[in-house]
Amino acid sequence: MNQLPLQGIRVLDLSWIIAGPTATRFLASMGAEVIKVGSARRPDPSTRGPAFQAYNQSKLYVSLNLSKPEGLELVKRLLAISDVVIENFAAGVIERLGLGNDVVRAARPDIIMVASSGTGHFGPHTDYVAYGSLLQHYTGWNSISGHPNREPVTGGLWADPWVGMELAMVTVASLNNRALAGDGQYVDFSMAEALSACLPEAVLDYQMNDRVKDPMGNRDDWDAPHGVYHCFGSDRWVAIAVTNGSEWAALCGLIGRSDLTSNSKYATAEGRRQFQSELATAITEWTMQHEDIEAMRLLQQAGVPAGPSQDILRVFQDPQLSEAGYFNRVKTRDGEERDLPGLPWRFEDTQAPILTEAPVLGEHNDYIYGELLGLSQGEVAQMVEEQIIY
Amino acid sequence: MGPFPSDLLHTEKSGLFLALNANKYGVTLDLSSSEGAESFRKLAATADIVIENPPPISLEELGLGYESLQQINPGLILTSITPFGRRGPYKDFKATDLILYHMSGHAHGLLGAVKDPDKDPPIRAGGHQAEFVGGLAAATATMMALYGKQMNGQGSQINVSSFEAMVTQLISGLANSAWGRPAPPRDLAMVEEAAIGGMVGAIGGILPCNDGYVAISPREDAQWERWLVVMGNPTWSTDDRYSTRDVRQKNSPSLWKLLSDWSINYSKHEIARLGQEQRVPCFPVNTVLDLMSDEHLAHREFFVEMDHPEAGTLKYPGAAYKLSNSDLPLTARPAPLLGQHNQEILEGLNR
Repeated sequence: MNQLPLQGIRVLDLSWIIAGPTATRFLASMGAEVIKVGSARRPDPSTRGPAFQAYNQSKLYVSLNLSKPEGLELVKRLLAISDVVIENFAAGVIERLGLGNDVVRAARPDIIMVASSGTGHFGPHTDYVAYGSLLQHYTGWNSISGHPNREPVTGGLWADPWVGMELAMVTVASLNNRALAGDGQYVDFSMAEALSACLPEAVLDYQMNDRVKDPMGNRDDWDAPHGVYHCFGSDRWVAIAVTNGSEWAALCGLIGRSDLTSNSKYATAEGRRQFQSELATAITEWTMQHEDIEAMRLLQQAGVPAGPSQDILRVFQDPQLSEAGYFNRVKTRDGEERDLPGLPWRFEDTQAPILTEAPVLGEHNDYIYGELLGLSQGEVAQMVEEQIIY
Repeated sequence: MGPFPSDLLHTEKSGLFLALNANKYGVTLDLSSSEGAESFRKLAATADIVIENPPPISLEELGLGYESLQQINPGLILTSITPFGRRGPYKDFKATDLILYHMSGHAHGLLGAVKDPDKDPPIRAGGHQAEFVGGLAAATATMMALYGKQMNGQGSQINVSSFEAMVTQLISGLANSAWGRPAPPRDLAMVEEAAIGGMVGAIGGILPCNDGYVAISPREDAQWERWLVVMGNPTWSTDDRYSTRDVRQKNSPSLWKLLSDWSINYSKHEIARLGQEQRVPCFPVNTVLDLMSDEHLAHREFFVEMDHPEAGTLKYPGAAYKLSNSDLPLTARPAPLLGQHNQEILEGLNR
């Protein structure tokens, strides 16, 4: 049985809201000791709801007031015993707090400092004020989605969770480099670029064909039928993607329309794309007679890629997640048993990942100030009094 | 998979392939032949990491699974990316990007609430976002395993589920469910707080411009004050219906009309620049055309250019990060041609 791969790594987490905490959640659950730094002076805005519980699983939480010079000294002492420090303030804020890369590196020369901001830490628009939802527009991410001739889509929670996982990836890549080369790293991360990197098709299409393509809803450039079809019940839909001729024949057989298979109009993907709307009518006649889950089962049994379009509550209740061991049942501090989210990977023959409930501010002050920094109870009490530990 | 120049299928000119496989070597092996399997074993014996994404066929089914490879390379990391992982009732189900995007809950949020949910179904994001998330999860897990290997010499067998990777993007929604909260409604009539431009619960949305749209979010009172400066302090701004965040949220449909009447006279880049000068969060709604001419991305050298023997000189999205102590080999070589490095790599195995 292997131990968790990040055991022995200590991460000082100065990040907040979504992207940074998402990254450190991955690191903490795979064995790193993550110390989240917060203060009652300026609480993490995500503390307001259950989301905080998800973003901050498995971490330690220390209260520390960065606006006091003594607080800054405490952070430097924590930096000296950390392998990684991560922050996701707007560009320039960490320097104004007195914790720029040079200060951090003086405290711990081989530290990995991961700095994530909306548009990165240099360049003419470094100071632009950004939220994840707006970055999805700026980066073109939203431009490839939606319906032609309608307003751009404005939903989609993508920027922060995607950036969170990529930050975890580049952090561990930097740890690997340190293990090989011995030196630390300053990582200048741009959320905007992380999103723009998700559009290679559109970027290449623009250069190859001098065109900016309209979004196409659920349709595909190549495969057809490719869409969602109304099922029995209100706002219930099953997604179906036919990717080759045998899946096409299987679909026609299942819906009792083998006549379509033999119609040469529909023999190729190109033909099926051209007549997609009339095929949708034929498919919907069948799907309307079935509940979405049943439609998925029948289609999958026939060998056709299919699945229901679910809202988040139905995802939470999806038997695939519970039976594949995705959730972790935890007794939370309000005394309830709850299924908390897990990780998208399984390391076989390895210790189970650590997926505990999120901490509360200051919960681990005794361990961090007492055991790690060796402060006496009197010293701690004094700093609590002076709102340094706050 | 496309795009292709002039939309003509070509084995060496798929834009997606070129972008995803730049900076790699490429060899061709028939793993179902004994020769091909033998070459694969020799390659795997020297590798730190093997990554596969079945279906249609897995290394296990070819007799080249983890246990067999571990015998020749005990420290090997084998990462398998499958649609649903190796466990659970759907483990053998087929999925594409469309299926994963809808099943995982993402499609329900993308459009926002609509007037008639039975006529206006959920939609997926463009491109291959679900498959990219599966790939990023695999890269992240593999990096972690590599660190474990560097520290302890241990190999790893990792199974990644693209479905779970998509679901993990929505852990905040899962936590809401775990705490008994309902899913956000898709029916506009059921949305309690009026939303402007589709964003519920945060004051922000998109405004029409004379050349497209601009996205704005002056959600805090101080940001709103500065936004009014951008608009030249219009007379209606002192109206009781728009004086606080709460009432602005409540009266957002009429407010949005006033904002739109103003914004339509300007270009999206103009408004974004004026807004950011006042430190109001706002950005143009960009297409790839805007990206390729964006001065900030150009200054940061985000796009990298490579010359490919068949597809020619093209710009590719680079990395989202700059590392102070490592030069990333982002332009080491263009995507390989089919079997381009067979001689260099496979013949080297027999020496």
